[in-house]
Amino acid sequence: MGVALKVQNLRASVGSVEILRGVDLEIPFGQMHALMGPNGSGKSTLCHVLSGHPDFTAEGKAWVDGEEILDLGADQRARLGLVQAFQSPVAVPGVELEEIMQEAAEERGIDPDEADRRIAEASRRFDMGPFLGRSVNDDLSGGEKKRSEIFQISVLSPKAALLDETDSGLDIDMVRTVAAAVEEMRRPDMGVLMITHHSRILSYVIPDRVHVMMGGKIVTSGGPDLAQELEQSGYEGLRKRLGITSAGADTTPKPAFDFFTDHPFSS
Amino acid sequence: MLSLDNQTLERLNSGAPSALASRRRRALEEYRRLEMPTPKEENWKYVNLGFDLDEMGLPTAPGDRLPDDGFAASLSNRAGSAFMVDGRLLVVDNDSEARLGSADEAGGSGSGMDLLAADTDKFAAAALAFSVDDITLRIPRNRAVEAPFVIDVQSTCSNTVTFPSLTIRAEENSEATVVVLFRSPEGVPSVLVPNLQTTVGYGARLSVTTVGLMGSEGANVMHHRSKIGRDATLRIGEIGLGGRLSRMDLRTTLEGRGGSVEVVGLYYGEMQQVLDYRLVVNHVGPSTSSEVFLKGGVQDHAQSIFTGLLRIEEDAAGTSAFETNRNLVLSDGAKANSVPNLEILCNDVICGHGSSVGPLETEPLYYLMSRGISKARAERILVRGFFEEAIGRLPLDDLDEPARQAVNRRFALAQEGGRV
Ligand SMILES: Nc1ncnc2c1ncn2[C@@H]1O[C@H](COP(=O)(O)OP(=O)(O)O)[C@@H](O)[C@H]1O
Ligand SMILES: [Mg+2]
Repeated sequence: MGVALKVQNLRASVGSVEILRGVDLEIPFGQMHALMGPNGSGKSTLCHVLSGHPDFTAEGKAWVDGEEILDLGADQRARLGLVQAFQSPVAVPGVELEEIMQEAAEERGIDPDEADRRIAEASRRFDMGPFLGRSVNDDLSGGEKKRSEIFQISVLSPKAALLDETDSGLDIDMVRTVAAAVEEMRRPDMGVLMITHHSRILSYVIPDRVHVMMGGKIVTSGGPDLAQELEQSGYEGLRKRLGITSAGADTTPKPAFDFFTDHPFSS
Repeated sequence: MLSLDNQTLERLNSGAPSALASRRRRALEEYRRLEMPTPKEENWKYVNLGFDLDEMGLPTAPGDRLPDDGFAASLSNRAGSAFMVDGRLLVVDNDSEARLGSADEAGGSGSGMDLLAADTDKFAAAALAFSVDDITLRIPRNRAVEAPFVIDVQSTCSNTVTFPSLTIRAEENSEATVVVLFRSPEGVPSVLVPNLQTTVGYGARLSVTTVGLMGSEGANVMHHRSKIGRDATLRIGEIGLGGRLSRMDLRTTLEGRGGSVEVVGLYYGEMQQVLDYRLVVNHVGPSTSSEVFLKGGVQDHAQSIFTGLLRIEEDAAGTSAFETNRNLVLSDGAKANSVPNLEILCNDVICGHGSSVGPLETEPLYYLMSRGISKARAERILVRGFFEEAIGRLPLDDLDEPARQAVNRRFALAQEGGRV
């Protein structure tokens, strides 16, 4: 079985500030991996660096289905099959959601009728009908934005999907809908990296692997038990077990611990 | 060509009513006294005219009427049309209850409206002295005309200047929609100096959309003066695309209680164009409201200027006044200037203004690209999206599509040519 997404010794910085300090990751096709970690540990940065955000300079290597991506533009990476559901997607006033999905489909050479069919299907599933003709992410609630993001992943059906806290801010029913969609993404032509703070979604869709990021590195990986462990003892307990000083993975000054956001399963 | 001198003036005056003749003579005196404006004057800052009215003249005879362009063609359902070609009123077509024609024909009281002062600038003085024909549209009281009136103003003779006088009067409790097109053929250097005057009577609802479509060697230096009565509404739409220079000097006065004015629309400059907006909204009456909402774009070496003054006088209690001007600068050589201003002489008001000048934003661009949309296409989508809000607010839907297409085409062509 091939590998949907592979990352090797990935480092990234903004200006002179290094945020990712050597990330390794391998998600085979057909698997869903969860990525957890305290706020500010670099999870979103990993997604943006892989997606090709222009603010970051990256070193190391990354492949989608065996093709190296770090030298490609953001649009080429997406067409190659890496698409992210953003944690905080930006508003694009005056541009309709349906329109960008059609344009994105056209860029991929997808037949317009097939694109419309996918849009209609995904829109039913995530209850996006009222939003298709509205400006992208403009005047949407937090939860509506998350729905819009997972809807887009569902339409674009990438080889590697990065879901950055897509389950945050959703009502209980929508968490289940998203979990079901993620479960379906566990198919032979797709791999998923799901960033989450919440155990709730992990009880609906069991990850193949769980990775924990601290200070810009993956400090440990394990099976679903790792998520259980975090629920019991928090990141602080994990640090103790791994013998990581309170500063995190290395000498980075640790941001103040915030129980409500740093505790993995508080919502 | 008839130069702008006493001889031409007396020629125009022969057979004219004496009030008009003496008004022309007084305006000629102002014209002689005033210099051509220079960028040193605050109200002409950034504008290098590059021509002198003294070296130009009126055409001896009007040229041929221009064929319809995309904008004219989109206005197929009309209440009436009037064509002003090279300063002459050529054709009037009107089946509506409104009166459309020369001031005499349109009739009604106070047809010799004088909202523009001759000492405003040399162009205003020239307009009042050398205007040949005028078009007056009068909507009688209590009448509502649904389809738009179209006034198609054209300048077709090289090296000439013409001074169309356009008067729109919506009488008490009437309603109408008007579109004024300003056009000149490509390759014809000429100057149009329209004097547009609008009055909106008690409870009347009027919209006037001006569409700037001059060729790249044409210039349009327009004055628009308007007076808005009690509980009356004026919506001014603007689609500014044409001309090597297009200037709108708009001064609107909210006189009666409860009157409102909206100035909404877009402008988009390419190549060497200068698009120049000088707006003054004067709140005199209490409980009046105004909103200016203009979006602009410049590419290549084009330049835009927006100055908008919201002035609230002492007695205008309960007034609300808002002003927004946002600009996209799409090439390194292009420039947009935006200066919103408030002058508030009254306490009980709600005012606000916002202005921005800048390139396409990087985050939305990245967002669209992260969906697999190429950079060039994403930029086109963002340019289109930027203007969508302004297009959506134009008073007349018929013009949405040609406006959208004109802007999109300009940007797409510039992309192909590597100019943006
Ligand atoms: N564009 C940026 N400029 C400067 N610092 C950034 C930028 N983006 C992220 N950071 C910093 O990088 C660190 C990791 O952020 P992020 O990846 O968003 O964390 P997470 O998603 O794990 O909460 C934080 O300290 C954050 O402030
Ligand atoms: Mg994050």
